[in-house]
Amino acid sequence: MLKGKKLLKFPQKSHHSSPNGLGSLVAGFDAHGDGGEDENGVVYKELESGEELETFEPFGLGSHGDVDDHQNEGTSYVKSDAGFSEIRAPPKHKVDVEAIDADDKRSDLDYELSQKEINLDKLQRIASSGIPDGGGLRATIWKLLLGYLPPSRDMWEKELRENRLKYARLKEEFLVSPLHCRQSEFSRRKDEAAEGIDQQANAHAAEPLERQEISNEDHPLSLGKASVWHKYFEFAEISEQIDRDLERTHPTIKFFSGDSAISRKSKANVEADSFSCFVRLISDSVDHFCEQMDNSSVGIRSTLLRLSELLKASDEELWRHLELTNKVNPQFYAFRWITLLLTQEFNFRTILRIWDSLLSNPHGIQDMLLRVCCAMLLCVKTRLLRGDFVDNLKLLQHYPEINIDCILQVAQDITPDTSSFHASL
Amino acid sequence: MASTGLSSSNSSSSSYDLSFKILLIGDSGVGKSSLLVTFISNSVEDLSPTIGVDFKIKLLTVGGKKLKLTIWDTAGQERFRTLTSSYYRGAQGIVLVYDVTRRETFTDLSDIWAKEVELYSTNQDCVKMLVGNKVDKESERVVSKEEGMTLAEELGSLFLECSARTRENVEQCFEELALKIMEVPSLLEEGSAVGKRNILKQKQVHHTSGGGCCS
Repeated sequence: MLKGKKLLKFPQKSHHSSPNGLGSLVAGFDAHGDGGEDENGVVYKELESGEELETFEPFGLGSHGDVDDHQNEGTSYVKSDAGFSEIRAPPKHKVDVEAIDADDKRSDLDYELSQKEINLDKLQRIASSGIPDGGGLRATIWKLLLGYLPPSRDMWEKELRENRLKYARLKEEFLVSPLHCRQSEFSRRKDEAAEGIDQQANAHAAEPLERQEISNEDHPLSLGKASVWHKYFEFAEISEQIDRDLERTHPTIKFFSGDSAISRKSKANVEADSFSCFVRLISDSVDHFCEQMDNSSVGIRSTLLRLSELLKASDEELWRHLELTNKVNPQFYAFRWITLLLTQEFNFRTILRIWDSLLSNPHGIQDMLLRVCCAMLLCVKTRLLRGDFVDNLKLLQHYPEINIDCILQVAQDITPDTSSFHASL
Repeated sequence: MASTGLSSSNSSSSSYDLSFKILLIGDSGVGKSSLLVTFISNSVEDLSPTIGVDFKIKLLTVGGKKLKLTIWDTAGQERFRTLTSSYYRGAQGIVLVYDVTRRETFTDLSDIWAKEVELYSTNQDCVKMLVGNKVDKESERVVSKEEGMTLAEELGSLFLECSARTRENVEQCFEELALKIMEVPSLLEEGSAVGKRNILKQKQVHHTSGGGCCS
């Protein structure tokens, strides 16, 4: 039931409220964002107005790894803001940002985004209390927070272009049939041959499926794990599985069904940008998804244990009740919380608010995620202490609607080494 | 010590004679969660893939006994298999589900899932039920009823074909399983032990009633 709530929506049509047309540059694709042929004639025209952005390194996915880039992530942008003029005095420290109403917050954020060099520290601080809806503000800020957009606005266009290219190449590498590769390989050799480089190859090239190729060790029926065909079929199967799951998870979303008004080109760009953001999003928790890592110190079991320890340190009574008396294994509820970043536990609006906090946490997504998970337990403490195994598992697998700002405040206040923490609810 | 559980007079603890744990397993997308949702409620909807495990309770009366079924709906995706071993513990019934329109889901039952059961199930006598789902898509069927029956025989399990969409045979599936479990003395024993505790608990709750359940 809860599941029905998590339907993804795409960011609203861009408004014009942002400085320099920023909003329409980075808002989610809008319906008319018909790749390139766009009106306005503004600077960002060639970015296919209203599309998502930026570059990434497909580390961990193969040969392009650029580890350095990722290790520096989050710190490399924390530049001195000496040159930053503070006319607008955006909130400093942990001021009670909640008090600032959405309009003020929006203009603060707009101001930060209009800087040539965006100050990520400031952005994190403002965004952590929630980003106002609309105007594509969240779309831009999340990308910056993820490090997908560099803080320097001049770089956006270039990185965006490069990234999309990279994604296209990546797709080709993994999803194009070896037969196609082979044929293009042939045509390349043919070209070379035509220039007299390789006469021998020329003789073969006329016939893509010639004898020599078929009798080759590697063919579609090859059972060898190293076979490119084996790999290809494996990837194709995964791809089909994803399609099946998308269809049943998001049957109403036009973007996935193919028959929408969104142009193919802009769809491809959104796909590329989303992929890159996704890669960054899970970069500090990829190991949760590898079976081989399950028992390692970075695997999902360790993370579940960390949650358990966090709870114990925050509220030993509750921990004792849940784990010793009830024997509710955190895996039974928190596995989904953690691996899906809480997307199945709340409605879409609430998820956005939670993610504002996750993405703007200076100590990383996972750090905040565990605090939020722990806070979710603390906030239903009274009920949990009353419940038995069945009651509590039901409660935690169908988390009640509770004011999310309270949960996030509790999460914010958790310090792992405080043993006397008490939920304020 | 025992006091904590006592006051949970809400939801699940209405009276019952027997309590059984049932596990649903099978490949991703065969309709395990749909079967369960159809069985528990009346809705027929498209469901997201299960992540980890989902957990549901059903109270029903079979053979004159009030039963509480605790049904563990597991994730079918390969990724989750190493994590699911703990779900098998103490299950009295296991429902193995395949999709009659996708052959690999059928072959995986004998190649993978039956082995998991053997490996992880702690109950020697645990009752199995083989279920071919999605028979409403008759035109797309690739696994025949006869093949299903043959596999059921091999696995020593019960067998039914059903459709979560049309509700055909869904209730029968869980009822037949429960009936069969009640025929096995060791399982009946386990189930009634929990049942007795429950009845005791009910009484105690009456005694100590008035204890503030405010919410």
